[in-house]
Amino acid sequence: MFNSLRMSMGWVHTWMGLVLGFVLMICFFFGALSVFDREIDRWAIPDTRFEPQPMPSFDNVLKPIYQQLQPDPVDMAATERRVVGTLPDPETLKLESLFAYTTHRDPVLLIGGEFAIPNQPIDPADDHQHVHGRATVNPATGEMLNDDALKIGSDWFYPMHFSLNLNWMMLGYWIVGLAALVMLAGLVSGIIIHRKIFREFFTFRPWKNLFRSSLDLHNMTGVVALPFHFFFAFTALVIFASNIYLPVTHTTLKPLHEHHEMLEAERKGLPHEPAGIPAPLASVDAMVAEAKRRWAERNMAGEVGFLSMNHLGDENGYVSIYRAGSDRVALVGEGIHFKASTGEVIREEPPRSVVSSIDEFLTGLHLQHFEHWMLRWLYVFGGLLGAICIATGFILFVEKRKAKHARNGSQGSRIVDALAVTTVTGMVLAAVGMLVANRLLPADLAGKGQWEQTIFWSVWGLAFLHAAWRSSPVAKARYNPAWREQSLLLGLMSLCAVGLNWVTTGDHLIKTVFTDTYWAVAGVDLSLIVTALIAFYAAAKLRAPVTEQKIDDALSRNKQVNAYD
Amino acid sequence: MISQDALQTINRIIAAVFGGYAFTWGFSVLAIATLVALGIDFHEAETAISLVAFLVFLGLFLWTFAAASMIRVWLVLAGGAGVMMLIGLMLQTSLLS
Amino acid sequence: MTETMWLIAAVVAAVLSMGWLALAYETHWQQVFPESRTLPETGRLKLTGWVFLSLSAVFCLKADHPSMAVLVWVMLLAVAAFSVAMMLSHRPAALKIICPPLFVAKA
Repeated sequence: MFNSLRMSMGWVHTWMGLVLGFVLMICFFFGALSVFDREIDRWAIPDTRFEPQPMPSFDNVLKPIYQQLQPDPVDMAATERRVVGTLPDPETLKLESLFAYTTHRDPVLLIGGEFAIPNQPIDPADDHQHVHGRATVNPATGEMLNDDALKIGSDWFYPMHFSLNLNWMMLGYWIVGLAALVMLAGLVSGIIIHRKIFREFFTFRPWKNLFRSSLDLHNMTGVVALPFHFFFAFTALVIFASNIYLPVTHTTLKPLHEHHEMLEAERKGLPHEPAGIPAPLASVDAMVAEAKRRWAERNMAGEVGFLSMNHLGDENGYVSIYRAGSDRVALVGEGIHFKASTGEVIREEPPRSVVSSIDEFLTGLHLQHFEHWMLRWLYVFGGLLGAICIATGFILFVEKRKAKHARNGSQGSRIVDALAVTTVTGMVLAAVGMLVANRLLPADLAGKGQWEQTIFWSVWGLAFLHAAWRSSPVAKARYNPAWREQSLLLGLMSLCAVGLNWVTTGDHLIKTVFTDTYWAVAGVDLSLIVTALIAFYAAAKLRAPVTEQKIDDALSRNKQVNAYD
Repeated sequence: MISQDALQTINRIIAAVFGGYAFTWGFSVLAIATLVALGIDFHEAETAISLVAFLVFLGLFLWTFAAASMIRVWLVLAGGAGVMMLIGLMLQTSLLS
Repeated sequence: MTETMWLIAAVVAAVLSMGWLALAYETHWQQVFPESRTLPETGRLKLTGWVFLSLSAVFCLKADHPSMAVLVWVMLLAVAAFSVAMMLSHRPAALKIICPPLFVAKA
């Protein structure tokens, strides 16, 4: 089919890149937003605009909150389908394990647990004998956050970038997984096609025609951030490898895995099963203090990132305390396990092996538990470079073909261009539209989060219809006016969002930056303003007709740079 | 009517995605089982292989498009997947017995 | 505070190094000096560029745990290269300030 390596790689780059590029746009853009997911949460849920705090006292603050934790109705329904008979009243289910999770950026705390059920599973091999529950609590007041308040950053934009929020049969995860593989293939094939990659490092010639200047930008954004692109696509696959993408140890090698788990449980001394003998709970705060003392002894003083308890109220119950990895590229770790009834240490996890250190570095660099604001912004920038690389790829595809398509009456480049509008300006419109809706809908509206999601998809859908409706000029080898119109709208909506945040919460930029500094909200507002400026600039650029004269001027001014062609 | 070229292309895409995945699966099964048999901790082996597996997949994916003969591609992908899976399962059985 | 100082130093070193590495290419040199009949001292520019590139790595290591410093440095290089490219295309004359006579060769 192909005559040479470069031709075959060119095919993979162009066509696989095009089809999965629409998905990759979503991954890169929402991934970039996810770097600041907690901050977007604060913007969207004004009640939680206070300072992050370390894990609060379990004995005094958290313990009573777990009494209010309820099984999740969705998980109840899902579990009901897997077991014999009907489940008992959720009020009567007993909590058998629990967890609490926080990071250095969280003013609120995520808690959850598993409720035991008496029913037998339909499939005897199904050992998932519990229903989950989770909640977000305000540790300052001990109140649970309203379920209708959607955490737009961490529960919508963040899952968007790895699952497209398409949970049916895990379809979204698989599409994103394939897109990540194609991203890697796109990078390798791009290098093979191009060969001279260092030449491209500093070359951007906006005065040249759209095809040339887009190619410059495509190569440059691809090359300068090559390590970022490669490692983020690669680690995306590694992060989900054992649970989703390549679950060999849960399927083919399950017998070997279970055998190992049994041996390991014996070695670690952490009881796999409850003893059936009721037992009280010793002071958890004392265990936390002991864990912190041991970390400090290892020269790794730190805060608690994750706390969990198993076999609650049972003689075999134990408490696991993990350190938050905010000062290095690591997740929670250095776990110390205590006997729940007495508070004595059962086991202290040894330092990581070489393999796990590498694995943790790779997954950690993607999941970003660290406290490093500059690196966070650099990541946002890297994500946006990726988005530019893909978006210019679409433009290259269209510009290369549209004249030919216009001659032979093909609609190909017109369709691709309309989809490009949808996944570039349309996608940002959907995200900003959701924020606008978040400020317009009343906080106590029932199902507010559901409404916000509906609006998100609707704005995106409308952007697609608009792009398709305005796309006919592309079939005549001209430009789609939807690019400019959506840019204008995006600029207006971004400013609107900032204005609405001020009106509805009283948090304007002078306050959040200067008088009562709160960077989470100020950062979102400022980013929206920058978005607006870029959108208006783009709209202005798209209006200016590109005259021959202008091109000539630019060419003569920079004659020498043309030496590459 | 689908053209010969289009069929060729579809064949390559299916081989690259599903054939490549099957080979990667077989590779992972065999590699983890082998490492465990060599006395390496199970989770260590699992982690190490998860780091290698996607690079193997990537290589196969690109090779499928670059290869001259599709018959050879399918032989390697499907045959390799089957053989590695089989040996891996036999290893597992012998490890557990 | 010292960490911030080291990071600022790393940013400056990265941008300077990328600027010099870019100027070592004759095509980019001509963008900065379109009228003049000069050429870049390629060897000196490359050497200084690489030295500053290494310096920025050292500064990153001064600021953070090595595992984090690697990430900061790699990302910093991307941003620095992108910024230099944008300067070359929009305000090339601004790069004259990093071109002392030391780097100028007669054509």
